[in-house]
Amino acid sequence: MRSDTYTIVFTTIVTVVLGLGLSVTADSLRERQSINEELDIKKNILSVLGFSLSSEWENDKIQSLYEQNINELIVDKTGSILGPIESSNSDKYTIYQSRENDKVTGYAIPIAGKGLWGTMYGYFAIEPDAETVKGITFYRHKETPGLGAEVDKEWFQSNFVGKKLIDTNGSLVSVEVVKGYVSSTDPKAMHKVDGISGATITGKGLTTFLKNDLQKYEPYLSKVRKLNQIESL
Amino acid sequence: MGENPISIHVLGICSALAITTKIDTAVVMTIAVVAVLSISNVVISFLRNNIPNKVRIIIQMSVIASLVIIADQVLKAYMYDMSKLLGVFLGLIITNCIVLGRAEAYAMQNSPSKALLDGMGNGLGYGSILIAVAFFRELFGFGSIYGAQVIANQIYLGGYENNGLMILSPGAFFILGLIVWAHRAYTGTSDKH
Repeated sequence: MRSDTYTIVFTTIVTVVLGLGLSVTADSLRERQSINEELDIKKNILSVLGFSLSSEWENDKIQSLYEQNINELIVDKTGSILGPIESSNSDKYTIYQSRENDKVTGYAIPIAGKGLWGTMYGYFAIEPDAETVKGITFYRHKETPGLGAEVDKEWFQSNFVGKKLIDTNGSLVSVEVVKGYVSSTDPKAMHKVDGISGATITGKGLTTFLKNDLQKYEPYLSKVRKLNQIESL
Repeated sequence: MGENPISIHVLGICSALAITTKIDTAVVMTIAVVAVLSISNVVISFLRNNIPNKVRIIIQMSVIASLVIIADQVLKAYMYDMSKLLGVFLGLIITNCIVLGRAEAYAMQNSPSKALLDGMGNGLGYGSILIAVAFFRELFGFGSIYGAQVIANQIYLGGYENNGLMILSPGAFFILGLIVWAHRAYTGTSDKH
């Protein structure tokens, strides 16, 4: 039997060595990780806005595509656009506007909220009419692989495309993830998508935070809708 | 073969269920488990004569946890997409009974070189079952093997459907149960009460 002092000294040494090893690894890999994360975010914004990306592309190519086509706007809760450095007392939200040949081709907003195991982060894209869904994507979540993690899959995400965010009166209804399948006779089918079997809580969470996030952008989006109406007259 | 951690000792079942829907995730998980298990066995074997008996489990856990965090960080830096797929389950190697089990049962009594072989052997044994389960789940759940579609479109048009049960956890239970049964029947092992 060894003395208590030995135990304490030994444990201290092991802890310090392991702690040091961990911080060195974390520190030396941090740069690569953050590059990966940033690039992943840009890839997500591009793909949610309908740009097709190839997995063989170099990082620079994605970077330049992003810089050429994406315009980052900052809006406040009244829906006015703020300059990049303009200070405002109210909350600020970023909206990504994609442009091709000086024409707006869509808007993407960041979405985040509780799934089953943790916070899910993603982007939600809207057509230039500011009421039709263009796409949805997730870049970070802790959902169960094969169940909640199906939100990453094409079949789930493509169900959102073409759904309507506002009803005929012009008020925001968002898109709801239902349990099971959306019935084709449902009059509100244009605001609903099929759920993932075995991942009801993920779907419910998504429904809730999608609506919350859209509400933040609604002042700006409704302005866009009004402008579109005036232009079409 | 006679000592496979999953099919004989029924250890490490939780992660075996979670990450075996596709072969590629199972392969990466296998590599991570082999690496963590081998290194932790070697480190603990080196320290075995110095570790105070009272705190040995805590020391083993610290070594294992550190290694798992490093594996997770490396994956995030070099295989970002894969680390997104594995998500929380890579971190759960820490709670995988195989790693602590081998450290306590083998590395504490044996030399580093033997411990290394034991770690690799157990890791690969664990991984072979993961990949076997993943093979069947991917084949019946998605109709593909290692991402390549093997069930032709004509068969789908003829009314064949992917088995959704295979993608869910019960699918893993069934396959795992069948594998354990087959393996035990073959080796003639049974639980002694």
